[in-house]
Amino acid sequence: MFIKKTSAFSLLLLAVALRLFSAVGCDLNDPDRDVKWLFPESTSCKTVYVSIAEKGGQALLRQVEERLGDNFKGLYETADVPYTMYLIYKGPELIGYIHGVNQKGRYGGIQVFLALDNQGVIRGFYFQKLTSRSAKELRRPEFGRQFVGLSLKEFYEYDPVAGRAPASSRVTAIKNPAPEAEDDFQSSLRALKKNLILVDEFLLGNKYLSAFKPRGPAEDRP
Amino acid sequence: MFRVGRTLGLLILALTGQALASSSLFYVEAMAVAGYSSAAKKVILYSRQLEESMQKPSLGFDDILRLSKETGDFALVAVQGRVALNADGDKRYELQLYNAYIKFKSAAGDLWLGHDRPELGLSSVLDSHGTLLQPLDMNGFGFDRDWGLGVKKDLAWGGLGFALTSGSGMPLRLKGNYLFSGRVFRGILERDNYSVGFSAAAGRVLDMMGYTLLSPNPLPFAVAGLDISWLSNNLENRFDLMAGEKDRKQALALLWRVGLNLLPENRLKVEIQPVFWKVGEDSFFRLGAGLSFLANADITLRAMYEHDGNTRDDRLVLQFYYYKRLTVH
Repeated sequence: MFIKKTSAFSLLLLAVALRLFSAVGCDLNDPDRDVKWLFPESTSCKTVYVSIAEKGGQALLRQVEERLGDNFKGLYETADVPYTMYLIYKGPELIGYIHGVNQKGRYGGIQVFLALDNQGVIRGFYFQKLTSRSAKELRRPEFGRQFVGLSLKEFYEYDPVAGRAPASSRVTAIKNPAPEAEDDFQSSLRALKKNLILVDEFLLGNKYLSAFKPRGPAEDRP
Repeated sequence: MFRVGRTLGLLILALTGQALASSSLFYVEAMAVAGYSSAAKKVILYSRQLEESMQKPSLGFDDILRLSKETGDFALVAVQGRVALNADGDKRYELQLYNAYIKFKSAAGDLWLGHDRPELGLSSVLDSHGTLLQPLDMNGFGFDRDWGLGVKKDLAWGGLGFALTSGSGMPLRLKGNYLFSGRVFRGILERDNYSVGFSAAAGRVLDMMGYTLLSPNPLPFAVAGLDISWLSNNLENRFDLMAGEKDRKQALALLWRVGLNLLPENRLKVEIQPVFWKVGEDSFFRLGAGLSFLANADITLRAMYEHDGNTRDDRLVLQFYYYKRLTVH
């Protein structure tokens, strides 16, 4: 024992007495392997932790919900959740980002990761965690490739409550490879939109905020 | 502020003389544990045995600090400890250290130094430091954490790891004891919904129960193991088999844990875990059943019934577990 038990106990109590926030993040299983897979040209990766609570609290949470078009709910969606964001470098140059979010799925939580270029355009999509009879279909590269080239600008058109986008939207053109898992498919789209909003908020300096058209207060939604 | 990981990290930065940044998470952990033991015929404030580290009423923290250069991470410092209440013991409070390592990143793999998991069976991948049901390491086959160093390398199809540790578990004690361990696995459980691991360990280990030394001299220990985990919809299965020699006696250990996730977001989990092990002529059987309910993002309520076939002890244990992030930087 390095510290006398009484002083250790006091220090722990002191730690508890200081600031208050909460948990549940979404990390890459193995950043080295996953970064090389998503950005083969990369030379290094830097990890940063962020949270809505610490950047803007409830006011920021409401703004994020407004942009999402749905309220945050459940274990994985609170202002306190820390998000792990990966900044990808090629030499000294920042070439993109990787970020994953948790989302409620049919059989528990699913984890949706995006690889984005440094302008916030999708260059890769994949499920890190997905437990479903249709996991095989949803994990197929052809499904993920449908998202490549899209950005938050297109996903603003997707309404996660109604589960649809305008007929002319590029999001509507995304095909569900497993019609029997429509709920997991819709959860994926919602997770993806949430992911893009968080990256815009925390990493892109709200580059896509000007493209957002408010639809009404978040409190009015179910 | 009491930030062990940050302090260590800053020390490393100073020693390496590099202009670096850091990003960190700091959590607080608190748990209440109480149960009834039919063998002791009384209320107990621990989940298994008084000498075991897990689980007892406690207050602790979990600190994770990533150290980065301008263009990338190069190390991670993790420190996780708690002060546990020994209601019936001689020492009323016990300082327990779980994670206490620095992990350096390199192209060849991650090298860790300190107190981390040896590479043997399911214990090397399960985080059991807050749970009531425990894997084989709590039955004398391996250690939840051990002091030493190791290397881990993740590959596209799975990964591998090797460790050279003290073979003393929670405390660092050196009496000629050591443990080599290695594990190779195929399948990433979260990605592939299955993982199969082969592991082996050999050395001379101390017979420890938590921080209590049960036998004065190191015991020869050599086992090979197979572990399997797979997920199917809301069903989880985990299987762990080890065979070899312990204290020059033939040894065999077998664990099966089946879990069913229920309610939205898997808030409720039901698990059953039979464990059998044999060392020489002595055999043991333990049957556990657990309920786990996520009340919210910070609070988990657990209950466990465990039947110990040898001591004929039936225990019903309840746990209130709180794990909350305090800061992010």
